Order: sequence, then C-alpha cells, then structure tokens
Amino acid sequence: MKILSISTATNQLSVALNEDQRVITEKNERDERNHSEHLDPLFQEILTENKLTLKEIDRFAVAIGPGSYTGLRIGVTTVKMFASILHKELVGVSTLQALAAGALSDQDLVIAGIDARNDNYFAGAYLDQQEQAPICVIDDGHYHIDTLLAAIKKYYEDHPVKELVFVGSGFEKQQKLLEQLEIPYRFGTQKQNEIHAGLIGQLALQEKPVDADELLPKYLRRTQAEADWHQKTGKPFGSDRDYVEEV
Amino acid sequence: MINLDSKKDIRILAYESSCDETSTAVVKNGREIESMIVATQIKSHQRFGGVVPEVASRHHLEVITQITRKALEQANVTWNEIDAIAVTYGPGLVGALLIGVSAAKAASMATGIPLIGVDHIMGHIMAAQLTAEIAYPALALQVSGGHTEIVLLKDPTHFEIVGDTRDDAAGEAYDKIGRVLGVNYPAGKTIDEWAHRGNDTFHFPRAMMEDDDYDFSFSGLKSAFINTCHHADQIHQELNKYDLAASFQAAVVDVLAHKTIRALKQYQPKTFIMGGGVAANRGLRDRMEHEITLLPENIKPKVILPDLKLCGDNAAMIGAAAYNLYQDGKFADLTLNADPSLELPYADSMLNE
Repeated sequence: MKILSISTATNQLSVALNEDQRVITEKNERDERNHSEHLDPLFQEILTENKLTLKEIDRFAVAIGPGSYTGLRIGVTTVKMFASILHKELVGVSTLQALAAGALSDQDLVIAGIDARNDNYFAGAYLDQQEQAPICVIDDGHYHIDTLLAAIKKYYEDHPVKELVFVGSGFEKQQKLLEQLEIPYRFGTQKQNEIHAGLIGQLALQEKPVDADELLPKYLRRTQAEADWHQKTGKPFGSDRDYVEEV
Repeated sequence: MINLDSKKDIRILAYESSCDETSTAVVKNGREIESMIVATQIKSHQRFGGVVPEVASRHHLEVITQITRKALEQANVTWNEIDAIAVTYGPGLVGALLIGVSAAKAASMATGIPLIGVDHIMGHIMAAQLTAEIAYPALALQVSGGHTEIVLLKDPTHFEIVGDTRDDAAGEAYDKIGRVLGVNYPAGKTIDEWAHRGNDTFHFPRAMMEDDDYDFSFSGLKSAFINTCHHADQIHQELNKYDLAASFQAAVVDVLAHKTIRALKQYQPKTFIMGGGVAANRGLRDRMEHEITLLPENIKPKVILPDLKLCGDNAAMIGAAAYNLYQDGKFADLTLNADPSLELPYADSMLNE
C-alpha cells in the first residue's frame, strides 16, 4: 500500500511516501508560516522523483493536531480534497503520537509536547508497544506545565518507568520544574523533536480510514471568542454544524 | 482545430472563502451560473457581534469537501467537464482565504485542471457580468464591509482604482452604527429598512463631498452619529431610530452618489456597475439609478446592478472574473498563496497626489 503523509502542524513541513511499513522518501523543510506555498510543490517533487501520480496513492495521512491552527488546516484541507476527489482512503494521526513514535524505547515514558506559550503545552504521554502503535497514557490535551507534570508524577507513582523523555518544543525552559520531579529524564535529540511524515505514514497503516467529509483538525482548544461567549452567556457551545447554514 | 476550440464552452469551478461565507459555483462562459452553493456562518459570528477570524476558518474547513461535490452535482457535471478551478486569494482574512486556496490547489493537483487566482474585489465587480453584458470601458462603485472604491475597468481584466476610502469602508460604518442602535451584525439590511421609515432630521456631515477627488471618508460620520446618540443618552432623551437610520443612510448615499456621478462625468464609461454587499442597499441602488437618468443623453452609461443574491460574497462572481482571466491566459501555479492585503492597482492620478 502506498501512503502519502504530511505534517503542517508546526513550522517544520514534512512530506513522506511510504510503501507499507517502509519509508521510501521523506522531505523536510523548515519554513515559518509558508506551508501554503511549499506543500503542493513538495508533493509534486516526491511524486515526480518516484514516477508516481496522485491517483496511484492508496491512502493519505495527515497530522491532525494539535499544532498551529492555520498550519493544521492547510494540511487537512489538502488531503481531504485529495481523498474526496480521488476516492482514496484518508487517515488522521495525532501530532503528538507521531512525535512520540520517533523517540520510543523500552521502559521509557515519552512526553510529546508543543509549546503553546505562557507555560502551556499541547501535550500527551506515550508508551512503547513493540509492534503496535505507541499507546497513549496521558491524553492529548492543552495543559499548564504544572498540571502536566502532576499527571506525569501520578502516572510514574503507579507505573514506574526507567526514564522520562521530553520531545517536541519548549520543554528545555522548564528544566527547573523537571528537576523537582525527581524522576530521571532526558530531552529528545533534535531529530526526535521534529515531526516526521514517514512516522505518520507508519502509524496511519494501523488506523481505520475515515470519511473525508468528517476529518477535521483536533485543535484541542476552543477559540478565545467562544470561551468568552460561553462564560458570559452560560449557553452551551453547541455543535459547530448548527452554526453554518446553506442559503 | 482552432475554430472548434474557440466555440467550446468554458466551465469554471470557483471557490470563495475570504470572510464568513464558504461558497462554490460552476459558471459557464463567465456568464451562466450552473450551480452556486453558499454556506453562511452569520449565525455563529452573531454570538460575538462580528466575524471572529479563527472561528471563520474552522467553519470553512467543515464544509469544503461537501460543497465542492454539491456544486458539481447541482450543475450536473463531472470533473472532466471543468476547464479551470478558480479561487479568491485575497483580500480577506488570511486563515479563511487559506481554506479556499488550499482546497482549490489540491483539487487542481488531483485532477490536472488549471488553476486561476482571483482578486475578491474584481470578483465583486464581475457579478455584473452574470447579470448583463458589460461594454468597456466601464466604471464600478464597489461598496462592501471592507472596501469603498471607484474602479475604472479598461477591459475585462485591467482594473484601476480611481478613488477609495481614507478610513472606514461604508459597510463597516453600517455595522458600527448598527451596534449603537442594538442591531446585530451584519446591520446593513436592517438600517436600510429603518431608513425607509424615517427622515433625514439630523443632517450628519457629508465628508469630503466637495473635494476635488474621488476619495471617501466615513469615520467622521460614524463619530458624529455615535456622539449624537451618547449625548441624547446623557440627557435621557429618546431619539427616533428610524430618523437616525435615515439620516445616516442619507449622508452615506449622498457622498457615494455625488462622487460617483462626478466620476461618470469625467470618465464617461459605457457601463456603470455596482458591486459588493452594500450594493444590495435599496437606498443606494434607487439613488444611483435616479441620478444616472438625469445625466445628459450622450454620456448616459448602461447601468448594471447585480441581483441581490450576487451582491454578498459568493463563488459565482469569482467564476465570472476567472473566465476573463482564463481568456487572457492568466493562470496560477501550485505556489499560489493567500494574500490578505491584495489590492487592485491604483490609477496614476491617485499615485501622483
């Protein structure tokens, strides 16, 4: 099965072509805020180099979040359209699961996170499962660093692991707090701290495809405007669908 | 071969997602709407009293594949019958624009159909082409929530701004004074209705009306309106909302009509067009039509006021404009990006000021 996978969730743009478990090629580009210009040409490059057309791809996979809201939408919109028009399979993979998958090792707990500013992180914790996809033990969410570390501590008390591995962005500046945990830990290498589309492709192989119309980013956070409105009015958020009408 | 080709119908699938409407359409030969889908988010943004960009972008993505399919189905065509895919790439909200741009690019890549990037303002003006044949040169009054411009159309693809607003757009002023009157966004339609039930008793200022250019300013009018209301509040005096609306609308329409008529006298175009959301305003439509009947016979242009449903944001107008770009061979490639501050070129007369 040929899988084309992408991540536009961070300022790293990553595109890969996999044949089943094998990563045939992966291209990475660091481009601040310019995914829109670079994504499709990068696809084209990979297809041309491998003498393929989009029609020959069996499954599309995308980092579905968390991550940069605009970035996620560029990636998700693109693969939704591919899958919908070409009637191909589509899979969304957690950005954090993909990050964790690059740093797994036996007996370690991998905490994957993306800096969400002001000591907040989009984060989740994952364990190695050998042949299978990494299993999530602390749900992907939007956490203050204190909440995240408390959850890690609690998990560690019940399930001692050898070491904590922090991958992604923004954890280095929390070194003081990490020391206070009194649990052995290390930071990911530069390669592990970046999201790799090849890994997304591998994880996607084990996922069940979803309807292209239904695939939406997992932002993991309401917009400020909605949160304020909810607080002010006390009204339920309601389903997003109810707010869009055809005229 | 060439003769056969030139007779072929050109069918364009168009996308529009620059603000709070997600729209797709199939347009034949830049004139015939074969399908038009508009998914509006007004209900969502009314919670906040105006468009919230992040919320808008999220909603666009929720419907994009569905409305693509629907546009093709309603037009009863398949991708094989589409000659180009067009999309608004600016101006507008960047996150919102990016949904249409990403979708159109992906569709172009998946199908091999060429891509055309369209200026949203050019699209609004070209809504006229879906209503009647435009004779060139033409002059357009483009009035919406984000823009108030007088645009000279030399031919179907070469447009120049000859006048624009120095501060607020006319539609923006409507929304802002709407808020003072307790009218939720978008306020234009309600203010227009109220205006027809009141009289111009407040005589708000007509800014820049007698200036020797084609520019506008609405922030002074907005401030005068708000001050009048606040002052009345302080002395516990109740003002007639219909008269307030009528007075505000009279000031807006006076300036727009006065300057546009002067531009028509100078440029003497063959066609006069109105475009944009405020082009749906009854007061403005009636006034412009009336003023033009008073022009001397030899400079009286043909008047095209687009159908009301084509004044707001929609993809059909983008398909109409894209057809002209298609005929000119103006295609985009896969590096097309959203340009939130895209502008039509300014006429030399404006740059030399």
